[in-house]
Amino acid sequence: MADRKAGAYGAAGGDTAFRRTWDRDEYAAKAADREQKVKEEGKARYEAAAAGKKYIPRASTPPDARDTEARNARLNVADLVGKQTIVVAGAGQGKRGKSAGFYCDACDLTYKDNLQFVEHLNSKQHLVATGESGEVRRATLEDVKERFEYLKRKREDEKSREVVDLTARIEVAVEVEEREREVRRRKRNEKRRKTKDGAGVQEIKVENDGVIC
Amino acid sequence: MAHQADAKKSLDERGYTGALIHGDNPLKLFEKAVRDRIVDSYYWKEQCFGLNAATLLDRALELTFIGGTYGVAQKPTPFLCLAFKLLQLVPEREIIQYYLEQAGEEYKYLRALAAFYVRLAWEKDEDVYTTLEPYLSDSRKLKRRVREGWALTHVDDFVDELLVKNRVCATTLPKINPRVFLEDEDRLEPRVSALGDELEELDQEEEELEVDSGSEGEVEELPHGRANGIARTGSDGEVVSDEEMDGD
Repeated sequence: MADRKAGAYGAAGGDTAFRRTWDRDEYAAKAADREQKVKEEGKARYEAAAAGKKYIPRASTPPDARDTEARNARLNVADLVGKQTIVVAGAGQGKRGKSAGFYCDACDLTYKDNLQFVEHLNSKQHLVATGESGEVRRATLEDVKERFEYLKRKREDEKSREVVDLTARIEVAVEVEEREREVRRRKRNEKRRKTKDGAGVQEIKVENDGVIC
Repeated sequence: MAHQADAKKSLDERGYTGALIHGDNPLKLFEKAVRDRIVDSYYWKEQCFGLNAATLLDRALELTFIGGTYGVAQKPTPFLCLAFKLLQLVPEREIIQYYLEQAGEEYKYLRALAAFYVRLAWEKDEDVYTTLEPYLSDSRKLKRRVREGWALTHVDDFVDELLVKNRVCATTLPKINPRVFLEDEDRLEPRVSALGDELEELDQEEEELEVDSGSEGEVEELPHGRANGIARTGSDGEVVSDEEMDGD
């Protein structure tokens, strides 16, 4: 696997920069780790056999694994609707690598669908990658009471902060309407420009903008 | 002590070790079809992952309607998903009582959720009746999602359905003995209705009406073709017929 940039008969080779390259050092380190683990396991088995006990291989949870907690906020999925992303040419096939759709940073996987994405976020693979154990702390009555008081207070604060003044609300509503009208005008103009030859642009409307909920 | 963030292990029917309700895996209180719909739904995957009894309150306080499954594809409501989560968590009695009494005092949908759980999960019939009966006087309105569209119901309506009907919110409720049976067995005291004296008065009027029609010896034809024989009383306590009342 020598330098492939030159062709076999000295002809100029193409640009192969987008192909995957193997980082030898990294894999050498991994192999060394693995050999050590096998040695240790062998030792543990030997000791267990010597003591007459059965050796049970246990996958160890990393000691600093955090407890899994519920999501704080909803996943921001509606943002991606109608967005146009430029995808790098060498993006991995299938899920690997960053591509169009929902991308998970920790696992380097892309999903075409918000349902699949959420499933992935709940999966063992992702939890291990983010250092969370898949276990949730059981709540006691005290926890429940505290949480309830906290939520009640938060809701009341939000309510009291709402602007009740009618004139202010009218202004806000008028501004929002103007912005929406501008956006609509722009879209209409773009469509008209595209279809100078007379053929209409077909707008495909998917239920709920294609977001699964 | 910790429990799993998602329900995969409890749904797997092989080797379930954990709290038993009615002698079986608590998640089996819902039918397989309903269970599958819940677990495949986006709400369950996004919002019900990693909840414990305390963080469940976050979701429960945001509920705006009750219901089972709706639509052609039998989509589960968030109410149903949270009930399923409660069944997975099997919280302690005191926590559920807190949901029902104190927290439910302010958030009626949480109260409905807790009542639903009590009816499903608590095994002693007397406990179910004594815990749920106080809420037969809670008349707050509830929004209910039905197969096609919406319906209006009340907290006391809902609790009554739980105690009387067989199937509520897409689940077949576990069998409990009717209250009359428990009273006969002396396991429960006879029910004291919240209407109290008003009920007695109503009963008395019915008796009077029967006595009147009996003495005439004829079968009266009731005005407007009404089937029931309950006439309304005027303010002075006399039995007045419908025609006279219409003038009001």
